[in-house]
Amino acid sequence: MAEVILKNIKKVYPHSEKKRRRGEQEKKTNLKVTDEGVLAVQDFNLTIADREFIVLVGPSGCGKSTTLRMIAGLEEISGGDLLIDGKRVNDIAPKDRDIAMVFQSYALYPHMTVYENMAFSLKLRKIDPQEIDRKVREAAEILDITQYLDRRPKALSGGQRQRVAIGRAIVRNPKVFLMDEPLSNLDAKLRNQMRAEIIKLRQRIDTTFVYVTHDQTEAMTLGDRIVIMKDGVIQQVGTPQEVFDHPANLFVAGFIGMPRMNLFDASLVLENGRYAVKLGELYVELSEDKQKRLAAKNVAPQEITLGVRPEHISLAGNAAGAVRGTVDVSEMMGSAIHLHANVGGSDVIIIVQTANLSDEEKAGFAMGKEIAFTFSGSIAHVFDRESGKNLEF
Amino acid sequence: MKKQASGLIWTIILSVVSALYLYPIIMVLLNSLKKESAITTAGAFTAPTAETFAGLENYVSALTSQGFGKSLFYSLFITISSVALILLCCSMCAWYISRVNNLLSRMMYLLCAFSMVVPFQMVMFTLSQTADRFRLFFIRFNNPYTICFIYLGFGAGLAVFMFTGFMRSVPIEIEEAAMIDGCSPLQTYFRVVFPILRPTMISVGILETMWVWNDYLLPTLVLDIKKYRTIPMLIQYFRGSYGTVEMGAMMASIMLTVIPVVIIYILGQKHIIKGVLAGAVKG
Repeated sequence: MAEVILKNIKKVYPHSEKKRRRGEQEKKTNLKVTDEGVLAVQDFNLTIADREFIVLVGPSGCGKSTTLRMIAGLEEISGGDLLIDGKRVNDIAPKDRDIAMVFQSYALYPHMTVYENMAFSLKLRKIDPQEIDRKVREAAEILDITQYLDRRPKALSGGQRQRVAIGRAIVRNPKVFLMDEPLSNLDAKLRNQMRAEIIKLRQRIDTTFVYVTHDQTEAMTLGDRIVIMKDGVIQQVGTPQEVFDHPANLFVAGFIGMPRMNLFDASLVLENGRYAVKLGELYVELSEDKQKRLAAKNVAPQEITLGVRPEHISLAGNAAGAVRGTVDVSEMMGSAIHLHANVGGSDVIIIVQTANLSDEEKAGFAMGKEIAFTFSGSIAHVFDRESGKNLEF
Repeated sequence: MKKQASGLIWTIILSVVSALYLYPIIMVLLNSLKKESAITTAGAFTAPTAETFAGLENYVSALTSQGFGKSLFYSLFITISSVALILLCCSMCAWYISRVNNLLSRMMYLLCAFSMVVPFQMVMFTLSQTADRFRLFFIRFNNPYTICFIYLGFGAGLAVFMFTGFMRSVPIEIEEAAMIDGCSPLQTYFRVVFPILRPTMISVGILETMWVWNDYLLPTLVLDIKKYRTIPMLIQYFRGSYGTVEMGAMMASIMLTVIPVVIIYILGQKHIIKGVLAGAVKG
């Protein structure tokens, strides 16, 4: 259990000598390139509270794993300070940081049994064999792998291996528990099961967790707070609800939420001191809290990118002023229908709950059918068209 | 039907090739069981008869004459020390090459790969001269106790090549996990990397053992032949000074030399195939 503080953490991968000589450009053009090299992580500032479960999430190459590896000590920190439990650990070896890590590929020692794998770190620390035995069996009990203690990793399934990898980490009782996409190698069913197990495990071992994933569902379900990253830069830090309800920019809006948020070219208008969005014929006045935030920032009326989540759109029948489109694809998901509608040439996704629909209505969303929809002012997100930033914050 | 016919043709071809490989060994075996007087060029392939059968007489004479015991010790010592040194140093070198991506590691790898294609005969005289020059630094390679360093140099090419191929297929996360678990680099090597390399260790070990045990040229060039003779060198001394050759004893000692290597190969051939494939497929 410990507080982890990352202050202005930076990771630079120097240019290769060959490329420098040839004057070639780096291929990863989405990352910032300086004279020093490619900036894989920049200005990373985050305070992870004691016993907090923090999730670093973002697409491939966003720097989330690099950040985790810097916390682990497997990657050198190019700049900034990393503090664990108040102590600067930038130059301290991984083994002396009192951390444990679970890898995506499990990284079990293939020549050791499950028991030996779990006991290895304790043996290295010359802990009393009886104490080792007690800790290993206790961890095996928690993870329900007691019956596999004598087996080698190759005789285990993916899910069992992942449990062993977690077991190897928890026997150490580390200050910080690091997990690098631990569920990525599992199939969908097992992933859901293990996700639930991690939630339970977290309640039992009660330590500080830093978890890396590219899966936003994992991030939303596991994290106390989520750190969304892109191109080595933090885009937003917040609770799952905060990042879902108030995305800081278009990237976060698109990344969090499944299916992704619908984006429209619209206008932000100010009439009689009240902010509203205008999308074609549709005029929607924003909710009170949005009014307050926009007014506090003195946001001027302008052309904006309007974001509305598929689950917040409601069909409007033949109501006047609603946005109109035609159904391209209708996906029956059981509890809901995902409609892909063509609105002025762009694809808009609408989730229609099936609970209150008749069979006739459910079957009625055929390709080419004309629909009209609207949304409320409390769930409309207004983004600056140039910078993509949420105008409310 | 076509598949069966092609299988039959291949069986015949491979049987002929096997017979070609086996015929010298069979010849040596047959003659090692004959009396000295019965070993003639004309009857090289005749099986021993009641009159010509010598039993184990030739084997006894080979084991008791010409310091066979001493030579056996030297051959064993040189083989074990050289193979152990090759396995230890080359696996460490391969670990470095596969984990550190810089000019030095790339050069080392290319050098090792290149050394495999240079025939020994091309460098043997410069090698013996170089080994001799080390006298200036009070290091002598002309004895069985230090010749292993020369074998290390010559065996490194193949060993590093095979170890590197295998190491590249081992996920680096295992070593990182060991570092986090509390291993120092040396502990990581000996407690994690070394055991993982076991299949390749066995295959490299067998190949190098076969080479060092059977090697005639290098010890002849480097060792002080008056004092130290390995078994392949000793066999030559069954030829007497005046053109006399103790053919029976010579054949018997050849058989005695071949047997351990054949046994080792038969026991480890599965691992040789595994080890070579690991390098070839994943490397």
